[in-house]
Amino acid sequence: MPRVLGLIAYHVFKESVRDKVLYNLVLFALLMISASYLVGQLTAGQDIKIIKDLGLAAIAVFGLFISVFTGVGLVWKEVDRRSVYNVLVKPVGRQPFILGKFVGLALTLFVNLAAMTMAVYLVLVVMAWVDPGLAKTAVMEAPVVDPRLLSAVWLIYVQLLVVTALALFFSTFSSPMLSAALTFGLYVVGHFNADLAHFENVVESKTAAVVARALYYVLPNLAPFDVKTAVVHGETVAAGYVLLTTGYGLLYAAAVVALAMLVFSRRDFK
Amino acid sequence: MIAIETEGLTKDFPVGFWRPRPYRALDGVTLRVEANEVFGFLGPNGAGKTTTLKLLMRLVYPTAGRIAILGRPAGDPGVQRRIGFLPEAPYFYDYLTAEELLTYFAGLFGIRNPDRRTRVSALLDRVGIGGERRLPLRKFSKGMLQRVGLAQALINDPEVVFLDEPMSGLDPIGRRDVRDIILSLRDRGCTVFFSSHILSDAEALCSRVGMLVGGKMVATGSVSELVAFKVAGWDLVVAGVDPDRLGALGPGVRAVVSMIGGRSALDLAPECEPERVIAAVRDLGGRVVSLNPLRATLEDVFLAQVRASQAASPAGRMMPEG
Amino acid sequence: MSAEVVRLAGRPDRRQIVVNLVVSALLVAAALGLQVVREARFRLESPDATVMYLRSGEAANRLALSFRAVAADLYWIRAIQHYGRTKTSTDPARQYSALYPLLDLATSLDPRLTIAYRFGAMFLAEPFPAGAGRVDLAIALLKKGLAAEPARWQYAQDAGFVYYWWLQDYHQASQWFERAGSIAGAPWWLKAMAATTLAQGGDRQSSRVMWRQLYETADDQWVKSNSRLKLAQLDALDEIDRLAAQVARYQQATGRFPSDWDALRAARLIDAVPDDPSGTPYVLDPSQPGGVRIAVSSKLHPLPPQFLRKAGPPSK
Repeated sequence: MPRVLGLIAYHVFKESVRDKVLYNLVLFALLMISASYLVGQLTAGQDIKIIKDLGLAAIAVFGLFISVFTGVGLVWKEVDRRSVYNVLVKPVGRQPFILGKFVGLALTLFVNLAAMTMAVYLVLVVMAWVDPGLAKTAVMEAPVVDPRLLSAVWLIYVQLLVVTALALFFSTFSSPMLSAALTFGLYVVGHFNADLAHFENVVESKTAAVVARALYYVLPNLAPFDVKTAVVHGETVAAGYVLLTTGYGLLYAAAVVALAMLVFSRRDFK
Repeated sequence: MIAIETEGLTKDFPVGFWRPRPYRALDGVTLRVEANEVFGFLGPNGAGKTTTLKLLMRLVYPTAGRIAILGRPAGDPGVQRRIGFLPEAPYFYDYLTAEELLTYFAGLFGIRNPDRRTRVSALLDRVGIGGERRLPLRKFSKGMLQRVGLAQALINDPEVVFLDEPMSGLDPIGRRDVRDIILSLRDRGCTVFFSSHILSDAEALCSRVGMLVGGKMVATGSVSELVAFKVAGWDLVVAGVDPDRLGALGPGVRAVVSMIGGRSALDLAPECEPERVIAAVRDLGGRVVSLNPLRATLEDVFLAQVRASQAASPAGRMMPEG
Repeated sequence: MSAEVVRLAGRPDRRQIVVNLVVSALLVAAALGLQVVREARFRLESPDATVMYLRSGEAANRLALSFRAVAADLYWIRAIQHYGRTKTSTDPARQYSALYPLLDLATSLDPRLTIAYRFGAMFLAEPFPAGAGRVDLAIALLKKGLAAEPARWQYAQDAGFVYYWWLQDYHQASQWFERAGSIAGAPWWLKAMAATTLAQGGDRQSSRVMWRQLYETADDQWVKSNSRLKLAQLDALDEIDRLAAQVARYQQATGRFPSDWDALRAARLIDAVPDDPSGTPYVLDPSQPGGVRIAVSSKLHPLPPQFLRKAGPPSK
């Protein structure tokens, strides 16, 4: 089974590399990140922070688009065009098929995020090299080329794995438009998840508070993955925090993939 | 040894969003295919042929009934290793080349290099894909995709091969190639199950056929069983005789049709003896070009069954695929 | 056909559904478990507390696009959370630092979010540990509210209270009450309150009257409960005075400070251990003028210092 999973995952990655749309998206992201260098020239003193802010934001936003659009289209495209028939007839179970797709998506996402991260660091390195005095500015809270950025990017990656799992889940049974809408919706809701826990402070109705708390547990809690602000100001994110948050993300994504596997294994391909 | 067996296979599809009503695509389909047979699964469009194939391939789950392939239930992973499937109007990953696709599928079967490489290459040769094998599949024509489809169905050297409309989209050369491949598969001991609505192919290739009309099996048997060997008349083509004089040759001559080049085609009744007419033609100074018996064909049987089934259930069914 | 064939020819087992669902549920439970552990060990505050990404109401306004009202609500909820969290926290370094920015954001997004202004008036002005202790910010917020809604006399009234109660600036307080009373639709007694404040500002009884008015006219839960708290504090002050009188009698009779409440009960000076209006017993404390104070653990702690007696006989 691992061999089959690996093959399916590898081909998901291969498809993404040869997919023109995705290619252009990543290219655009890289361009944007490079352009931040120019933006940095415009403001005095705060430019390093702005480049880090823009870089991380670009990674988060483009990463989100990649997650949603590849996740949503992946299964749906195959079913719609019936290319899925050929694979499912081979000795590949329906569940391993979906699992393999997810692993492939995770790999694709990783590579894309890594590329964008390298671009950000490249810009930072160039900035530091061009103007060595930058590092000595008293305003600096964090070094120019700061390895702490990696923890922010890693958590963005894990968060996007959750988003990808959701996109994949929806794509096993609904159209790409609806799947994308639902996935984006859950992404937004996931950021305000923490507020649901405190609903009882503001609402009168007991029932609403109970429902809110139940939703708080079931819906993904995505806000803790966002440590961009802290990292940009030079704070180190504790290893324990990163570990626990990663664990939450991976387990939650796995739960969603398990549901996707279930739905996919039971449907008719008309 | 029974290669393929179904019993009472039924499939309902829910139709409609708010209160789905079941649409019965297949109703109690029972069939049996012996090993090393070439079985033609015939029926008009919309009869349920593709649905049956999907049920056999476990792409769709039955509402009722039983399926066994090589003695095991459909979807059994051991069985999946020993069968091949060509879907109708196949579509593949268009970002891959033909070669890459076959390599991928071979990998899914656990076929490793160097065996994999030789198999892929040989199969592509066999189905007639030459230098195009390095082009991405999105550049392939319908006919070429059909060939690739056939190749991927055979990549694992299967014992049973399922083909859904294998001739569709092919030019006459392609069709002949596919025919040859099917025959060679039979010669190698494979069982071939193919669906078609082109009856002449079935007549030429199949040892047995089954007819599906409106989701029900209406006839199964060998071609000769279904088509009674009964002469319905003669078609005699002569040359060198004036057509008007041919009509006077006797009451057995039902019709005379003039053809190009001074030829005439005579439609003779079955009770009329063709030898007598030939002699008469010779006396008139003409010569015989050809003599063919007119027999009931599979098509006639087919059309009769379709008409009968439509008479039985006049209410129209909605148009599904297959 | 064999029985095995019969069984497996249908859709995948019901068992498969159960397996997948159970696995999924277990994974989510495990994920939540990790989340609980993380929240226990790491108080990495959500962005509003340590580093607020958006400090400017202007920026928030532009970014919220057409969802200003929802965004305002969100910041309002966050403000309450922040207040609640900081108040119950045991961290000695805790601050209400994000309270004003959050309220400011909420009211920038929705200038008519009355409750935010009034909440700010109460808890920005109140000194640590129950509030931020920033009277200036409270007044600034109320002025902002009045700029947005000049007819909202409650803001002016609240401003008056802030000056009256926390700063004991009876002159300013009176002016604010006067202003509030002049707004059309304001209740008649605001002008009277203005006069009273000027005349008898430091008086417990007039304070009581004012808080009572606020309590009765407010339709907001926060304002009502805050007023009720202030009234209870005033009652507690009166009770402390009465108890101090009994303690003084005891000292006169025995020459000693009572060791505990039972001593006073034995001397038939009180009936039972006295509780403050929130149900927590008072504390005998020789270091206090009068010898009686409120318990630190009481909900009414700390009592408004301007009314605590320094020394001498009980006031009327």
